[in-house]
Amino acid sequence: MHLRRARPIRPLISLVSMVDVLLIMLVFFMVTSTYLDLDMLELAEPAEEGGGGAAGPADTVLVSIGGDGQARLGGAALSPAALTTALSDRLAASPGMQVLLLPSALADTQALVRVMDAAAQAGATRLRIVQLEPQR
Amino acid sequence: MKLRRPETRTPPETIVALIDVVFFLLVFFMLVGRMDATAPFEVQPPLSEGGADLPGGGATVSIGLDEELALEGTLVSRAGLLARLEERLAAEPALPVRLNAHGGAPLRALLPLAAEIEALGAQDIVLIVTREGGG
Repeated sequence: MHLRRARPIRPLISLVSMVDVLLIMLVFFMVTSTYLDLDMLELAEPAEEGGGGAAGPADTVLVSIGGDGQARLGGAALSPAALTTALSDRLAASPGMQVLLLPSALADTQALVRVMDAAAQAGATRLRIVQLEPQR
Repeated sequence: MKLRRPETRTPPETIVALIDVVFFLLVFFMLVGRMDATAPFEVQPPLSEGGADLPGGGATVSIGLDEELALEGTLVSRAGLLARLEERLAAEPALPVRLNAHGGAPLRALLPLAAEIEALGAQDIVLIVTREGGG
């Protein structure tokens, strides 16, 4: 008599528990994630080797920012668009001009960023922030 | 003669497609998300049109509207912050420092701190901004 070996029954692997784990991880990532498009502005860059010498007074323009966030160039209050235009004109005459920003300690960070944006749009590449005295 | 209508068999529901979708969503959220310690206070970075892409890594210093400070999501005093940054900069001199300041935070909280961090030896200090008109 010829006996056949019974076929082993493959154990059924349930996927339900894996789906549970995946769903929990998915919900975790969806709940804990906040989506912000973050960028950066350089405040202090690594020191350049060689170049980057100090500019003479003629190659420097000073933009002050008042406590109200208003930018002033040569004493005249300017909107960001007007500041961009004014700086563009000066940069056209002196391409390597350095732009010094002198913000009031009472101005907010957004005001400084607005002026930095205006200077960058004008094509200023040499931008420095100076402070007279920190107010505590 | 009575004919019986054959019983309709309900096909077994396959969950493979569901697993595929969940996997895709999971991978999507893992790829687009960046794990970062959030400040224990509200910080809305200033809006900017000219920011560069923010690289990962570095030490994140948060500055709140009321000049409160946090390092990597933990509330710290000014002295404590500078001491911890000094330790980290001693171990890793090229450590980038990211200043995550609230747009309404006064510059008296930001600029002197940036100057002090620079004096500690930090060579790369950046201000975190959000893109204007973007998410």
